[in-house]
Amino acid sequence: MAKTVLITDDTAFMRMTLRNVIQKNGFHVIGEAADGEEAVSKYKELQPDLVTMDITMPKMDGITAIKEIIKYDANAKIIVCSAMGQKPMVIEALNAGARDFLVKPFDAQRVIEALHKASS
Amino acid sequence: MNNKLDFLQELGNIGASHATTALSQMLQDTKLELTVPKARMLSFAEAANFIASREEIVVCIYTRMIDMIKGDMAFIMPFSCAVTLANHLTGDDREQLNEIGESALLEVGNIMLGSYITALSLLSDTKIKPTVPGIVIDMNGAIWQSILAGAGVTEAVTILDTKFSTAELELSGHLIFIPDNAVFEALYQKVSSCWKPEETL
Repeated sequence: MAKTVLITDDTAFMRMTLRNVIQKNGFHVIGEAADGEEAVSKYKELQPDLVTMDITMPKMDGITAIKEIIKYDANAKIIVCSAMGQKPMVIEALNAGARDFLVKPFDAQRVIEALHKASS
Repeated sequence: MNNKLDFLQELGNIGASHATTALSQMLQDTKLELTVPKARMLSFAEAANFIASREEIVVCIYTRMIDMIKGDMAFIMPFSCAVTLANHLTGDDREQLNEIGESALLEVGNIMLGSYITALSLLSDTKIKPTVPGIVIDMNGAIWQSILAGAGVTEAVTILDTKFSTAELELSGHLIFIPDNAVFEALYQKVSSCWKPEETL
């Protein structure tokens, strides 16, 4: 059975791009969230196997959303996909519980590798 | 003053090199060339007159840096270039922007600004917190007015012009960086203690 993925990004274009890449590579996109708050609520509702998470988003940023999701499920598998590749931000995300950190624009292959690695 | 401009030029070069790689990837391996002309520091009055045509419709993607390092950053391109870029990214052939086209441009701007912010973070060894980027389509003059007004107490405007081109597309744009003056002084002092302009030539 295909692993389920929740995509979190505030731009519709990036959600569409990620959806195309993920669906073509054997995963099932179970839902999309446009901000951190929606990601937390959809995580609880949909119980996805994996989550992709943007950092800079309205309402609730990605770092806070990672902390909230990890508080709810310590085994949550979250991969950050952000345009902000600052070292302190990468460290903060990993410390919060993210499994990987991809800097946009990402290579499709790298996204799939990260999803496989996190789900194994 | 020259050293400060050299410092900004170096920031621009590093940011541009990150941005070139990023945009080239987004354009799906289209050969992309990007140049960064010399950084210019202008007074507010000079900046207001920097615009070639106040009436020209442009697309602007902007963000504000909050927290330790404060400032404003915007990526502005002529409307026709924005439509070309959006069509290229979405596979459409439109004369106007639709919702997904605007979203694609917002993401390009986000990545371009993110590249510069990452370079600034690297040079200053400081975490920079940007606000959620926004996109606006308006007359060049109106956009400049709101950028300058939003910059608050800043006395000088630093402009890093970017011009990029591809074999298939002719695109151009301005990347505008307006550091908060007090923060810029502190940042320059911090970085200049370990950075000598002549070493980078």
